[in-house]
Amino acid sequence: MGAVHPADTPHRHVPPGGALRVGIGGPVGSGKTELVACLCAALSPRLSMVAVTNDIFTREDAAILTRRAVLPVERIVGVQTGCCPHTAIRDDISENLDAVEALEARFAPDLVLVESGGDNLTATFSKALVDLQIFVIDVAGGDKVPRKGGPGITTSDLLVVNKVDLAPHVGADLDVMATDAAALRQGRPTVFLSLRDDPSADPVAALLLDALTARRAPT
Amino acid sequence: MQALLLLADGRFPAGGHAHSAGVEAAVADGRVTDVATLAAFAEGRLRSVGLVDAAVAMATVSRLARPLDGDAARAVLARLDAEVDARTPAAPLRAASRRLGRQLLRVAARCWPSPLLDLAGAPGPDPHQAVAFGLVGAASAMRVDDVGHLAVHHAVTTPMQAGVRLLGLDPFAVAAATAALAEIAAAVVAEAARHAAGPLGDLPARSATLVDIAAMAHAGTDGRLFAT
Repeated sequence: MGAVHPADTPHRHVPPGGALRVGIGGPVGSGKTELVACLCAALSPRLSMVAVTNDIFTREDAAILTRRAVLPVERIVGVQTGCCPHTAIRDDISENLDAVEALEARFAPDLVLVESGGDNLTATFSKALVDLQIFVIDVAGGDKVPRKGGPGITTSDLLVVNKVDLAPHVGADLDVMATDAAALRQGRPTVFLSLRDDPSADPVAALLLDALTARRAPT
Repeated sequence: MQALLLLADGRFPAGGHAHSAGVEAAVADGRVTDVATLAAFAEGRLRSVGLVDAAVAMATVSRLARPLDGDAARAVLARLDAEVDARTPAAPLRAASRRLGRQLLRVAARCWPSPLLDLAGAPGPDPHQAVAFGLVGAASAMRVDDVGHLAVHHAVTTPMQAGVRLLGLDPFAVAAATAALAEIAAAVVAEAARHAAGPLGDLPARSATLVDIAAMAHAGTDGRLFAT
């Protein structure tokens, strides 16, 4: 998997050494919160991290993250999206920017994870809000999902296909998903995971560490 | 005119989409259930908070339209800030008003760069939304009356749009109910203009107690879709 260099898409004026902001989007139930929890567990021992959630039940997500002791509760902020999860991450990012900037001012984190509200395949993050975006789908949603495209599938910096352990039970053909994703994503990486079987989220954590290294490399 | 149209557009990225102006709490309590009750809620908002917001916004723009040095402008803004604080008894609504003011200035500073907008955050906390309307009106050279219309427009359209989203109401019926409030809105702007020309301490102080109480309960509710 090639490193993704956020500097290649200079839409946001990032101060040197500033936090890497990563958007995590995807349909309801695909495992976005689970991925955030796994990334916090994997990376928070070595990085300063904060998280912004856009889910309806903010406390539930925060509770998941705090119960596992992966992130202190003051490092998690929930924002309301006014019934429009797309709008809050794409068209009018004011609420999310407020939350991100407040957390950055308070904790000077290395990594900011912005989890979108569960949405459909047309969701995408504004480049003024995040430097990288990860789109999470799962095999239980059907192996035709990558074929359907949409900005999340086609343009995200990383496509995560979660719950591969369920593939035999739901008749999902992972080869079909891989072929379709490759065709639509034009070289952008796709990874297949089961966060239940392996909560390390290694390929995702590696991508974020690569991006952070690239961010900090002298140019 | 272009500035007014942009600022009135619900698609303008100033953070308003995350607010229901109390409608989410009113729906949860069963006070707003259909187009008629939603329109009544919006009319109540128009005549109370709408009048106050319009008067504050118009007072702000008319005072800042004159050439003022930085200190004098800061003093006017500090006074306006205190007047809005005193008229906003519910703490979550004071916080939301400041957040919306900051968010409006964030986008306005990109659209209409002006030393006036730089003043806003400098003396203290983020400006209230109504003061920010006036600041942005001054920065974009809007007419004073138009700033009043802008304030009441948002006072009406924010709850109306939230009602459509929360209750799945007929959007055409809600649009018609919004249009039907035009005469009252114009009268509110005219009344606000009279107040705005007078002493700041005499700005109107109407509020809606039930809406304030509901807003305080709403702020502690998990699972809410709107910030207010």
